[in-house]
Amino acid sequence: MAQIILSGVGHTYTGAAHEEAWALNPLDLVWEDGRTYALLGPSGCGKTTMLNIISGLVKPTRGRVLFDARDVTDIPTTKRNIAQVFQFPVIYGAMSVYENLAFPLVCRKWPRERIAEKVAEVAEVLDLERELRRPARTLTAAEKQLISLGRGLVREDVAALLMDEPLTVIDPQFKFLLRRKLREITERFRLTVVYVTHDQNEAMTFANEVVVMSEGQVVQRGSPEELFEYPRTTYVGYFIGSPAMNLFPVSTDGGALVFGGTRLRSNYDAAALPPGQLQVGVRPEYLELAFEPGENTLAARITGILDQGSVRVVALLVAGEPAKLSIPRGRRVPSGDVLVRLPADKIRVYVDGDLATAGR
Amino acid sequence: MALIAEHLTLEVDHVRHLDDVSFTLERGRLHTLIGRTLAGKTTLLRTIAGLQRIDRGTLDLDGQSFLARPVWKRDVAMVYEQFINYPHLSVLDNVAFPLRRRGLSVDVARERARAVLERVSLRGFEERRPSQLSGGQQQRVALARALARGADVLLLDEPLANLDYKLREQMREELRGLFSDQGGSIVLYTTTEPAEAMMLGDVVLVMHEGRLLQMGPPDEVFDRPATTAVATVVNDPPMNIVDGAIEDGLIRLGGGRSLPLATHMRGLPSGSYRFGLRAIELELGSADDISGAVTFSEVSGSETFIHVDTGFGPLVLQIEGVHSFALNAAVPVAIDQEKLFVFGPDDQLVAAP
Amino acid sequence: MSRLYLLLKYTAILLWSSFVVAPFLWALTTSFKTVNGVTSGPTYLPWLQYTPSLSGWTGLFGGTGGIDIVQPYLNSIVVTLGASAISIVLGTLAAYGLSRFTYQLGFAKNTDIIFFFVSQRIMPPIVLAIPFFLMLRFLGLLDTALGLIIVYIALLLPIAVWVMVDFFNNVPRQLDEMAMLDGCTPLQAFASVVLPNSLPGIIVAGLFCIIFGWNDFFFAFTLTFTQTQLLPVAIVALNSSVTPWWTLSASALISVTPLVVIAVLVERYLSRGHLAGAIR
Repeated sequence: MAQIILSGVGHTYTGAAHEEAWALNPLDLVWEDGRTYALLGPSGCGKTTMLNIISGLVKPTRGRVLFDARDVTDIPTTKRNIAQVFQFPVIYGAMSVYENLAFPLVCRKWPRERIAEKVAEVAEVLDLERELRRPARTLTAAEKQLISLGRGLVREDVAALLMDEPLTVIDPQFKFLLRRKLREITERFRLTVVYVTHDQNEAMTFANEVVVMSEGQVVQRGSPEELFEYPRTTYVGYFIGSPAMNLFPVSTDGGALVFGGTRLRSNYDAAALPPGQLQVGVRPEYLELAFEPGENTLAARITGILDQGSVRVVALLVAGEPAKLSIPRGRRVPSGDVLVRLPADKIRVYVDGDLATAGR
Repeated sequence: MALIAEHLTLEVDHVRHLDDVSFTLERGRLHTLIGRTLAGKTTLLRTIAGLQRIDRGTLDLDGQSFLARPVWKRDVAMVYEQFINYPHLSVLDNVAFPLRRRGLSVDVARERARAVLERVSLRGFEERRPSQLSGGQQQRVALARALARGADVLLLDEPLANLDYKLREQMREELRGLFSDQGGSIVLYTTTEPAEAMMLGDVVLVMHEGRLLQMGPPDEVFDRPATTAVATVVNDPPMNIVDGAIEDGLIRLGGGRSLPLATHMRGLPSGSYRFGLRAIELELGSADDISGAVTFSEVSGSETFIHVDTGFGPLVLQIEGVHSFALNAAVPVAIDQEKLFVFGPDDQLVAAP
Repeated sequence: MSRLYLLLKYTAILLWSSFVVAPFLWALTTSFKTVNGVTSGPTYLPWLQYTPSLSGWTGLFGGTGGIDIVQPYLNSIVVTLGASAISIVLGTLAAYGLSRFTYQLGFAKNTDIIFFFVSQRIMPPIVLAIPFFLMLRFLGLLDTALGLIIVYIALLLPIAVWVMVDFFNNVPRQLDEMAMLDGCTPLQAFASVVLPNSLPGIIVAGLFCIIFGWNDFFFAFTLTFTQTQLLPVAIVALNSSVTPWWTLSASALISVTPLVVIAVLVERYLSRGHLAGAIR
């Protein structure tokens, strides 16, 4: 497995002059050896372009692609030692499972005993040992996807494993199993994995690190916890987590943030913040119902309750601003006028939509 | 005034798609039907619509037989899981189509269609073809067409299943408002997602393997699931079910674990039971609690589901926020006996917290 | 895109176009030649290389050494359009039924019925010639336009059914259901929803039928004599002891024209993805 370096890589399909209009704005990015990355974003955000640049299907308009120290920018896909799993399983239907798994090795003219050994090893990992004699076309979609993956695993020289929405055609009840299997395999083989998806849950479940993209740019890169706790932009705060992060407009008064006439205590020094439109973000899970006035406590009015079963999502107006708050079932939900508290250590400050780093 | 089904039964190749299903759906209420894939939800909707013949049973609307009427005389509107619209018609004419069929003039039909499109936030898209819209917008068109004519019966077959998760979140909240105007209609909405069924439904119906297992207000179904099957279907993640027994005034679980008897279990005779515990009621405990090994952890929205192997079988915990766990990491699990549901060996609920 | 690439691309396109156009050009020049022009080697430029003459064209309208092409031309139009139209109507209805409903005729199910239709086209035409001849004679329809239309329908219907079944199978069934839920009877659903969304299929099937009907020589030749002559038969009749290449070329051009016109008209329509958006 290899470290993948994108150095100043950017791409445009239209030849647009402004880099901001490119499908992928020029960027530097390092994919560390042996880690699992999810490339997350809505369709058209540039994630597939990035994947195709790594695999070599697209030659970037600008920049270099390096696998370890080797410059592969001009090397075609077939010579990059990439294993890929696509949305739809790519298998040889007429061949048996064994022949499918052995195929890359047969092409590389491995001796027969070594092939048998390697295939047995991979089949064991994939839980396909008992299916080896079956024709591949008789397998379920999930098993076929495992074979697509297995054909990458048998090769020992693979630089990286690229997956493009591999769970698209899998029935919901098998998704969980396949996800778990993929996770086990990537941990066991210490693969460098780039996993493209538009599904937040899939990305957050699967990856060590999530790269969130929007409109050709990487908006944030970090562990799932970081994305959830410290969204770099208000967009990430909306995109990650359900319900989305609450955002309130605030002003400053000396060193304090002021919201709805209340001075908020937070981990930020408002005086040190750069100029711009200020908002504070608090996740619905961290917004609390309070029973007596106190620090960071504001008056609010409940406008609706969404019973989701194990949790109740309370819609309310905090100082006139719409917000959501989630309460586990079993706790009493009041009605009408209430008090809510914004916990000081859960408050994030955004300046013009970007997480403030100064003043913290 | 209601839609009454009795003993609906359909068997194909020895598989019961509908197994003696009986219910009464009332006008002006929103019914959600929850069940896993292949539980028989779609078959039931198609039966009501008249698109599916059944072996046995009766279906009456306001005292008149519904089964005898062909589809086009039933006044049923339906929204499919796939985004089905007429590709050759503009968005406006798609919505106006059923109104035209009911004899309205072009102008009146379009006027009404415009109003409904406004309600589903599609103003300005009237002249486009469905293919020029995003998936979410296409489904809004289908929804508008179903809402436009105020049909006797409005059926929705997992309408949000093919939308991505942020859109689903948004549409769920809008739907409640949209249906509230449907005064006299009987609305039946199917889903696989407990949160959706609970949020939208005035009445929740639970189906499993072709049978209607329980029907009632959301709280009742959620707080007193009639069987273990209901308990697993109406919870996400599914309720943990653990075999055990009540003996000598103690709850005995597998692997030599026992817990004191909870208040709601007093008076239960000794014997074998199945205990149900919601993932959200389980907590990561301290060292002297039950120990387990993490087999997987997954993020769902703002929650993390941790799958743990314990001495008495696999459990799923639900904790708030996003957290990562290494596979095979050891975690202590705290069980609160006061939160345990008790089912008999026949899977029927005998005591609930 | 590099300039060299563009240059190569357009050179290739140009080469291919000339390859396609050449026969037409050749026929066009030949149609204006006389014996001398035809036998004096390849020449293309009128007045400079050969003396143009209209005799090839007058030969098509009753001129010396020629025929009167007007009547056969009209016959061909009537027979082709008549047979194609009937085949498309019947074929579309049959195909819709086969696509949407389940039939059982003894052991035969839908796929068997479809194969039965298509299987008729497996036989070489010559096998059919004698039975057709005998049947038409029995009906007194030999050498009539009606007789030919009936025979062509028998030959075209399988194509129409085959093409349309495939097309209807690709129109989501939920569309019909939706139309019925919206208040259409099955026939109305077919007419107002399924049909408009199957237009490309109907055009393809129609094109097949028209091309086959227009070009058929074999059945037109065996089943007609003097009263009802179709275009291909009339053209072949030109081929007397001295082949009048100029008239043949003119007739070739005039007979291929309708097909070219149809192809140009229809091409634009077919390339428009019409069903996209019916279902995700």
